[in-house]
Amino acid sequence: MQDARIRLASAALVSVAAFTSTWGALAVFLWWLVFSPRLQRMKNRMVILGMIVLISAVALLIWISGGDGFSYFLRMGVIVLIGSWLYTEQEPGDFLSVSVWALGRRTGFDLGMIGECAMQHAESLSRDLVRIQIATKLKGEAWGVRNLVPAGFILIHDALVRADDMSEILAVRGYHKGGVLCPGFQRCHWDWVAGICAICAFFFAIIPVSEFFILYQ
Amino acid sequence: MKIVLNHLHVQRGAWSLVAHGTFEEGIHLVSGAVGSGKSTLALAMAGLLTPVRGTVEREDTKSLMLSTQFPEFHITGLSVADECGSWGLDFKTVIRSAKLEIDGDASPLTLSRGELKRLHLACVLARQYDLLLLDEPFSSLDCTEKERLCRELSGRDSGITIIFTHEQSIFPRVDQLWEITGGELCALGRTPESLTRWQHAPVLVKKLIAAGRCPRNLTPGDIREAACRTHE
Repeated sequence: MQDARIRLASAALVSVAAFTSTWGALAVFLWWLVFSPRLQRMKNRMVILGMIVLISAVALLIWISGGDGFSYFLRMGVIVLIGSWLYTEQEPGDFLSVSVWALGRRTGFDLGMIGECAMQHAESLSRDLVRIQIATKLKGEAWGVRNLVPAGFILIHDALVRADDMSEILAVRGYHKGGVLCPGFQRCHWDWVAGICAICAFFFAIIPVSEFFILYQ
Repeated sequence: MKIVLNHLHVQRGAWSLVAHGTFEEGIHLVSGAVGSGKSTLALAMAGLLTPVRGTVEREDTKSLMLSTQFPEFHITGLSVADECGSWGLDFKTVIRSAKLEIDGDASPLTLSRGELKRLHLACVLARQYDLLLLDEPFSSLDCTEKERLCRELSGRDSGITIIFTHEQSIFPRVDQLWEITGGELCALGRTPESLTRWQHAPVLVKKLIAAGRCPRNLTPGDIREAACRTHE
């Protein structure tokens, strides 16, 4: 999906739809199958797999305690897939462009820049974790649970240092508030189709369709 | 003991590097301009980067270590003592060999880049590896530390040591010279014969060769000897 505005709006709508009901989650899963590149371009597959395993464990506990574990698994699993799709499709500058387009050069620029910084930090954290795992492997240690605490501290420290550096650079370059940006978006017909289908999935999830059919009968 | 690059082809976006050759026991210097692909080649040789084509075959190399350009990439411990421990080393021995005056409880993340590099190199060089890959080992070091590192490296008498660097002033004893030019790794041969073929040779070495005083090797002592030589 090329247009970042349609992509972000669609992601928001289908996330709400998937969270609202099991049928909504099924509709969003179909939407994901049709409009995303599915597993082909998915980034951080191991992280996604880990999250699915975690969701499965929680769903199993819910099911054992008498709750609807299947519904939980389906809804959360689909939300993870949508999040992964959004992360994969995201291009640098998308947040800034959409935010400036929606909220203007003052608030929009600031919020967009915060979003961009957050995405950049997420990428950096992911890279840092990989290099800590490589360093551990080079030292002849196996990566395990006991590495998580020091790795977590190092990741947080690095993220804080990076944030500090970033704020200094922005201050040195004269940033105070807001900024000028002329956002440009590319789109194709398929973007519109995906967006309209996301709206349909959203309404399908929030409107009690089964009750409508009971009334009709 | 050797490492064979069999028509290795590594790629990052539009950039690519081709490498073919055999690295045997001794000290190898891989030279090249910034961005020529030295770090990428080091990663591929360590098995941390999957090549597009070709293979890296390591024969009889039971232990391997890659020291990357950035020492912070190796930190896995929360304190300096923990960090030394993660290498299986005693903290006091390491800081003595690195000639550092730091507290064992200090976080390695609070050390300066130079201090961290010295600590990291002291940990790396405290152990004997069959294959030691050093990516820009001289970066962040002052001249005194560079010379000390060169003396330590020159003293390595077993295993394969490969130094990837664009350093132009201070070198250890080098057995074999390699150069990356135009996206290809070229084997220049053994020193001192290979020095005349070295495109990225330091200006001083080039001038000495032009004056007919080819140094016997690249150590500061060899360069001094060539510069002071009055006749061949």
